[in-house]
Amino acid sequence: MSLLGKRAKRALLFSGILWSFAAFAGAAENASQTVQIKIGAILASNQSDEFDLRLAPLEKQLRLMKYRSYRLLKEESQKVQRKGNATFEIPGGRSLVVTPQESGTKQLALRVHLQQGGKPLLDTTVRLNSGGNFILGGPPHEGGALVISISATAQ
Amino acid sequence: MMRCDDIREVLGAWLDGELRQADAEEVRAHLAGCPSCGEERRQLEGLQKALQDTFHAASTSIAFDSFWRGVERRINQKRFWYEDALGWVRDVWTPPQLAWSVPIAIILLLLGMFSVENFLPGLRTGIPRNNFAAVESIDAFGRNVAVLREDETKTTIIWLYQNQEGDDESTGEKSETSSSF
Amino acid sequence: MSAFQELVSRYHQKIFMVILGFLRDREDAMEVAQETFFRAFRKIKGFQGGSSFYTWLYRIAVNMAIDAQRRHKRTPLEFRETMDGAFEEQNEVEKDPFSDLHDKELRENLIVAINGLTAEHKAVIILRTIEGLSYKEIGKILDCSEGTVMSRLHYARKKLQVKLKAFLP
Repeated sequence: MSLLGKRAKRALLFSGILWSFAAFAGAAENASQTVQIKIGAILASNQSDEFDLRLAPLEKQLRLMKYRSYRLLKEESQKVQRKGNATFEIPGGRSLVVTPQESGTKQLALRVHLQQGGKPLLDTTVRLNSGGNFILGGPPHEGGALVISISATAQ
Repeated sequence: MMRCDDIREVLGAWLDGELRQADAEEVRAHLAGCPSCGEERRQLEGLQKALQDTFHAASTSIAFDSFWRGVERRINQKRFWYEDALGWVRDVWTPPQLAWSVPIAIILLLLGMFSVENFLPGLRTGIPRNNFAAVESIDAFGRNVAVLREDETKTTIIWLYQNQEGDDESTGEKSETSSSF
Repeated sequence: MSAFQELVSRYHQKIFMVILGFLRDREDAMEVAQETFFRAFRKIKGFQGGSSFYTWLYRIAVNMAIDAQRRHKRTPLEFRETMDGAFEEQNEVEKDPFSDLHDKELRENLIVAINGLTAEHKAVIILRTIEGLSYKEIGKILDCSEGTVMSRLHYARKKLQVKLKAFLP
């Protein structure tokens, strides 16, 4: 018979299938190199009672801030490699730089840097579940406050 | 001492000459005194003969030269790599053994399905049920900052307070902030 | 004549007959038998003589025949048309014309009954009946124990007996 008997060949083929599956799963785990970052810049104020319907998915979260009115100013989405920078222009001469850190596919760590006119306002690292979001708010804007929803999904 | 049922189980092997001498002797002795098993033997011999006649009736000699030419043609014919690979898989996994590969394939499929989030993250829509976010580090560059977490919506809010003198001087904005949550 | 050609010369008839037992069509059996030797040619370097060459060769032949059979499923009607051709080649023997008809009917029904067996059961019937191989040799070819060969033969014969009750003496 050949170097490998049929049982050995069968074991090899089956192991190969299992290994490929494991490698694929592992690769899926490690090769989530791309992260989709989505930001929504929102004006929260008490100047009216209007609620922008485009913000319906975030209503429950936004209502926590006790403003009467919420209006979507800008929505933007960027795909970025891990350790790469996604830069968003935020109304009011501000910019937001989001950098995904090394992590898995279920949890992401984002380094977030908010600046205005070249001056840093906030630098924070937030760990969140892929597909989840957190809120960054407070900078004054147009008689109200700027609220930024930041979400990230591992690809 | 074998009973009739046991004898009939090994009758075919006895006819084939495959039993050990002691067992073969026992079968022979039993057949000598059991008409029922004797009848079973006769029927089995009839079947054996019918089988041999059938296969030998189809017996046909084939000319070696033309046969060899067919083999030689195959040897000299170029084959694609996947034909060889398929042949190897077929050789390793013969049809009778395919039966147990099916449950294995099902197990692998189930494992894959439970890991579907790894492969198809885009399937997830909306805010996940466990929308948990943890602030690992924060630097507000001298400003007051609050981190709030609301359990019901699982929302994490980082609120940046403006200083009294405020950066807002640069934007000329007045703000009306409500800091109650 | 090369060494491999010598091997083909020695075994081609036996291999062809075993495959014909499965496929029942001369041309198909010829194709598969040639493919068997081609496969053996490709793998012969790996043959280390752990078992006899013809056991190894039979194993390839049986696997290829089973494989081909699954791809070329034939109806009993189709079978009859092709097997008639094979019957014509048999040596003519003085026989009672009625017994000749009965024999033909028995053979046809027997082939249909064999075709109803699973691949494993058909393989043991063919290897035992056509080639007269021992249980040990059959076990090596089919990669199973002698006990398994014995029980498969017993089961196959029982099944054929039941199906051919009206035809067997």
